[in-house]
Amino acid sequence: MFGFEAIIAHNGWGISLVGISIVFTGLILLALAVAQIHKIIELWDKRHRFKKPRQKKEKKEATVPDLTVSQDVQRASRQFKLLIEWIGEPFPLPKLLDLSEKCGLSRPHSTINELVKCELIIPDGNGYFIWNKEKFRDLGKKE
Amino acid sequence: MSTDIQTLKSLDLFADLNFGELEKIASLMHMMKVTEGEVLTRKGEPARTFFIVLSGNFMLSFKKDRSFTLHNKGNIIGWSTVVTPFQYRGTAIALTDGLVLSMPGQEFLRLIQSDSTLGDKIMRKINKIVSERMPYTTGTWKD
Repeated sequence: MFGFEAIIAHNGWGISLVGISIVFTGLILLALAVAQIHKIIELWDKRHRFKKPRQKKEKKEATVPDLTVSQDVQRASRQFKLLIEWIGEPFPLPKLLDLSEKCGLSRPHSTINELVKCELIIPDGNGYFIWNKEKFRDLGKKE
Repeated sequence: MSTDIQTLKSLDLFADLNFGELEKIASLMHMMKVTEGEVLTRKGEPARTFFIVLSGNFMLSFKKDRSFTLHNKGNIIGWSTVVTPFQYRGTAIALTDGLVLSMPGQEFLRLIQSDSTLGDKIMRKINKIVSERMPYTTGTWKD
């Protein structure tokens, strides 16, 4: 037995139809999966956005202590206040730095940074700085 | 230390750049530790290096000792590397220990000039910063 007869006798048409449908179903599923890949890539690219809110929260928590004035800064503020009174207001920040170095104050750079960050020294809007008397008064009250 | 793309992407200056453009920038950038009191740029000296703040606090001083402080990630120092006459307009001092990204000025300039799309994206941001800092650099303040 040869040719179509053999195919019919052994369910050849049925088997080939099943085969074709399996292959095409597979191809369709593959095409659908490939068509959705861009969404997965987009999600992957934006993964840092999902992390951001948590980071912001952490940042907020971290910035809170910065606003409080440490004992060291409170002590240094009295010394820097005297220097600023000597220079006169508004004063240039580099001059304060230079003078504090000459006077041998400990770690003048980071102390000035702390004073700026806790708003004891504030910019006057013209490139110079002024001493925040109110803030300093508040510190005195807290003590 | 080399720079990773994700770090660059998180900086406002490079936020508009695509992956390929960020790769070009990353190949030029180096992470650098700075220590309290370290001088990054000096007024009047040839502008050879461009810096981006990753952490730490800095003071920039200009003509007549006018100054301001930088405290945020993404702040830039040394925009004179891409603007004629390629001389630093101010002196930048680290007020605290920190981390910066540094890039050779000439290579940065070459990249901006050779890739017009990338150059346009970066220069738009730098121009905004330059205009904000112009009163400090030119010394033309309302007295």
